[in-house]
Amino acid sequence: MEMDKLGVVTSFVHNIVVYNIPLLYGTVGEIVVEKSGSLNLGVEGIMAVGAIFGYIIGCYTNSLAVGILTAFAAGALCGLLFAALTVSLQANQNITGLTLTTFGLGVYFFVGNGLKAVSWPAMNDYPNIKNGFADLGIPGLSQIPLLGKGLFSHNLLVYLGVIIALCMWWYLNRTRPGLCLRAVGENPGAADSVGINVKRYKYLHIMLGCGIMGIGGYYMGLNMSGSFSSSCWINGYGWIAVALVIFANWNPALAILGTFIFGFFNTLRVSGSSLAAAFPEPLGWLASVPTQLYQALPFLITAIVLVATSVRKREGSGLPASLGLNYFREER
Amino acid sequence: MAEQPYAIEMRGITKTFGSVTANEDVNLTLRQGEILALLGENGSGKTTLMNMLSGIYKPDRGEILVNGVPVSIDSPADAKKLGIGMVHQHFKLVDVFSAADNIWIGREKAGITLGRSRYDEIREITQRFGFDLDPRKKVQNMAVSEKQTLEIVKVLYYGAKVIILDEPTAVLTVQEIQKLFDVLRRMRAEGHSIIIITHKLNEVMELSDRVAILRKGEYITTVNTAETNEQALTEWMVGRKVDLNIDRPVVERTRPLLEIRDLTIKNDEGAVAIDHVNFYIRGGEILGVAGIAGCGQKELCEAIAGLRPIQSGLMIHKGDNIVGLAPKAILEKGISMSFIPEDRLGMGLAPSLSITDNMILKNYGEAKGIFVDRKLGRADAEHVIQDLEVVTPSTETPVRRLSGGNVQKVLLGREIKAGPNVIVTAYPVRGLDINSSHAIYNILNQQKKDGVGILFVGEDLDVMMDLCDKIMVLCHGKVMGVVHAHKTTKEELGLMMTGALNLSNKYEDKPAGYARDTNISPEELKELHGSEEGEEE
Amino acid sequence: MRFHVVKRDNCPLWKKLCLYLAAVAAALVLGGLVLLALGVDPLAYYGRMFTMGMVGNKIAYKTFENYLKVFVPLALTSVALSLAFKMRFWNIGGEGQFIMGAIAAATVAFQAGPVLPQTVTLILMCLAGMAAAGLYGALVAVLKVKFGTNETLMTLMLNYVALYFLAFLGETKAPWNFYLDPASVRPIFVSFAKTVSFPKIPMGRFGLNVCVILTFLIGALVFVYLRYTKQGYEIAVVGDSAGTAHYAGMKVNTIVLRTVFLSACLIGLAAAFKVGTAGILSTAITDDVGWTGIIVAWLSQMNTAVIFLVSALIGMLRYGSTVAAATFSRVDSSFANMLQGAILFLVLSADFYTRFRIVPVQKGGKDNGNG
Repeated sequence: MEMDKLGVVTSFVHNIVVYNIPLLYGTVGEIVVEKSGSLNLGVEGIMAVGAIFGYIIGCYTNSLAVGILTAFAAGALCGLLFAALTVSLQANQNITGLTLTTFGLGVYFFVGNGLKAVSWPAMNDYPNIKNGFADLGIPGLSQIPLLGKGLFSHNLLVYLGVIIALCMWWYLNRTRPGLCLRAVGENPGAADSVGINVKRYKYLHIMLGCGIMGIGGYYMGLNMSGSFSSSCWINGYGWIAVALVIFANWNPALAILGTFIFGFFNTLRVSGSSLAAAFPEPLGWLASVPTQLYQALPFLITAIVLVATSVRKREGSGLPASLGLNYFREER
Repeated sequence: MAEQPYAIEMRGITKTFGSVTANEDVNLTLRQGEILALLGENGSGKTTLMNMLSGIYKPDRGEILVNGVPVSIDSPADAKKLGIGMVHQHFKLVDVFSAADNIWIGREKAGITLGRSRYDEIREITQRFGFDLDPRKKVQNMAVSEKQTLEIVKVLYYGAKVIILDEPTAVLTVQEIQKLFDVLRRMRAEGHSIIIITHKLNEVMELSDRVAILRKGEYITTVNTAETNEQALTEWMVGRKVDLNIDRPVVERTRPLLEIRDLTIKNDEGAVAIDHVNFYIRGGEILGVAGIAGCGQKELCEAIAGLRPIQSGLMIHKGDNIVGLAPKAILEKGISMSFIPEDRLGMGLAPSLSITDNMILKNYGEAKGIFVDRKLGRADAEHVIQDLEVVTPSTETPVRRLSGGNVQKVLLGREIKAGPNVIVTAYPVRGLDINSSHAIYNILNQQKKDGVGILFVGEDLDVMMDLCDKIMVLCHGKVMGVVHAHKTTKEELGLMMTGALNLSNKYEDKPAGYARDTNISPEELKELHGSEEGEEE
Repeated sequence: MRFHVVKRDNCPLWKKLCLYLAAVAAALVLGGLVLLALGVDPLAYYGRMFTMGMVGNKIAYKTFENYLKVFVPLALTSVALSLAFKMRFWNIGGEGQFIMGAIAAATVAFQAGPVLPQTVTLILMCLAGMAAAGLYGALVAVLKVKFGTNETLMTLMLNYVALYFLAFLGETKAPWNFYLDPASVRPIFVSFAKTVSFPKIPMGRFGLNVCVILTFLIGALVFVYLRYTKQGYEIAVVGDSAGTAHYAGMKVNTIVLRTVFLSACLIGLAAAFKVGTAGILSTAITDDVGWTGIIVAWLSQMNTAVIFLVSALIGMLRYGSTVAAATFSRVDSSFANMLQGAILFLVLSADFYTRFRIVPVQKGGKDNGNG
């Protein structure tokens, strides 16, 4: 019985990471975009586009690396579209983002259903992909009892996600280009006046952020073993990412923590009953909590955070002051 | 003297925004190693002109040469490369960044990582320039003068050879101004060329080598500072007196309708905009308010209309204190305010709505039932269009489509239709041609004959001297004097506007701004002075 | 030749229309190219899509009835959203407000349906829907007015809270849950269509649902409200220039609150219509109308009459593509979403040219020889 309990907890921790890493990709990607001053509500659609193209091309080339790169490129292309419309053509950011969601999901189902009708690549047929997604234990760390297998024995994309998050944190806070990016998001007029090319910064970082989101979408496809059905792989994670950006105070490192917190509740929804079975006395009640409450929790928490941060002053908030506003130099 | 090319030469620069011409065929030269003062009244186009040097605007026509070479300054980055740096009037700083970071974002070849050494480097440079700045301090925690210092250090740091400063001394203390002047002189000695936009004549005389003057978007002349004086500069700035043929009917005056006593108002940035001001307006009288832009007129008008809270003081209308009343209540008392801002549409009009819809803005609630009564509004609109000769396709045209002056006609027409007893009007003839302006003057005179008291905030001294009965001059929120229009001169007004002349205590027997037949009761006075005891300075 | 971008003073209506229509046409052409690549005749496909398969169809009336079921909620929701958007209050929470309205209406249907006469129940359903949705939307307005909370993000979050609440009702088998079919072991929503349903007016074999008439009526009322009433005037002024509104003595905060409440109420009404017609709740009850409505409202530039037109067209697009998918099996129904997206992207691009001009930079001016 003892081993059983340990196993349950370990697999619970393992699942927190596995199911929720795409959140990290989406959140970090959106943080990069928002730090440039653009509110991109198209995360869901962009992740879907990255997912479908990454999966298909990755399978056909039987290479996980190509899959990742394709997913990134597909996401970045969507980012290019968003940037062209909002930065160069001064379009309303909300409308553009929402349209991108609809459009992206449309492309996802169009391509997916179209291919499914012909011949759908099954992940298991492509050994590189299947093995690439297998768990890799970090030597030493993965031997730690309880947490080792849960935290340090994951597939490549998990580690990649954490690395990207940490790199983005370092980029934003410890490098000069990151400083310039933050200036663009806070006060594009000030950045412009010292010679920063505001347009170029926005374009590049919107594309970068959307590319990162795309990889997250690809991950979700792999996590579903590539089985294509009528409900999208992304399943609302894109919207949770938008929420998580606020919760993480626009900080990619905090986003890792936020992913865990949101992920904890998400996994509780899936594995709560097994936890309740393993620990009937303290945790028995878990089985009776409605799953929908868990699903709604990230949004409820973020709503509360939104209100709380607007009640107190802006001091310490990572919210870029020019978020959602288009910059036009000759504005009088 | 060697035939050195000018550091900066601007030829035939013209810039328009829609239908407004900000600069018309302007020429400017800046010699190497000199300090040039750019002088002009509000609306003369100084900032717009300099913004073209700093890359924020592009000229519609004209050429710019740097060191004799024609250049195209398409962006601030180009200006930076050409060695031109500008310290703007409205700071371009990132509030949440530290001082060092605000400078660092413009640094070239700084490497990828942000080292801690940047703080030391900034501190060292700052001290070398003779300023005192904490590189780690966040801009949002800085005082206005510190932000100013940061902007100056920023520009110097980027190695600008040509430096432009837009009204830099507006926010500095006397000592800081001297320090700034020392720095500028030192930089001139080191070979920099400097343009300083200002309206303060004493600074022009003290600091500059030459003075260039703009008036109403046009270039007037450039003179050597040593060969001129404040009188002459004022004349160039405001122009010769033009005979305008404006009527000034003599009306029997009544008791003061509106009395302002010891009024202090803060502006949006928290600085004092109006500083212990006293004045009064009688019925049947036009009191003009003259002053350089930013001397507090906007805040004064807003306070009287109930749109801006005051720090202290009394505003008595026909014996009632109107301090703290809501805008609607003040409207009901018969005080009407129309303020024409620089973009003409900001306040008082809804740009996308038709003339008719704008007519009913203040009285739409009076119609019976839930429906708006546009019939009345349309009739009013038609009257205004006829009386003021507004050029418009119809009463239903959106106001934003009307050309400049017609917008003002609609606005003033509406104000007058409401039948007020006090009219506060700011820049009612801004941008209007002669005929339209006269139509406005006639209307104001008619109101005056009907016993209305008018506060006329204006830019054109010729007009005010002809139209107004008395003129009050504000400078930095203080009253420099209230003079009879027919007794004063343009030079006297100009000197008061720039703070060079103070006539507020001209008449020894009573304090300026107090009416002998005041409506303010002794109790209210005592309360006012009593509250002053505990007032913070 | 160097160019730079300059803001336009104004753009004549005919020019705007031409640009927008060109954008729509361009989108259709692009879509046509995609169809060609799939080996499908674009004209045949578009033909089938825009006529919704009613040509040569014996039961065309049924198709039209189904189309109206898409059109009604879309038109009403778009009108509702435009009210909020006019005031620059970005109500992205149409989905959530719709769901809350639907739940409230369904609750009344279940509880009052068996007891009260049908007409009374229907009216109560509408009122309940309006109240629930209205409060859900007003909540965000209060937060915005009091604390300055970002309404875009807040309404977004509340969308999902509502969605999962609905899922909870749909997936939890419990004695108190009257929404579910008692006869089924697995949780599925039960229909109340037999007890309560919006009546249809028979016109031959075609039955015109009362909701359609009501929707047009409400559309007309909203039009009158905005154009002729004092409150409508206030909305126009506040949305155009909050500063001017304040200057005129209007209580801007009250107006914002009131209008957002009204906006959300109408969405709740649309939900009540949908639920009352469908006779059953479902987790897909919104059919994305909260999202599509935003697009329609924006495309129509918040003009009530145009909204009806655009809703009709977009409805045709969406419904038509599901019909066309039956005939052209190679073209998935998601083609509609792609086409809708393409139309919008191109209209957004065209919109740029109505607001800005590209101007060549002229060199050289008069040399006065001054200085």
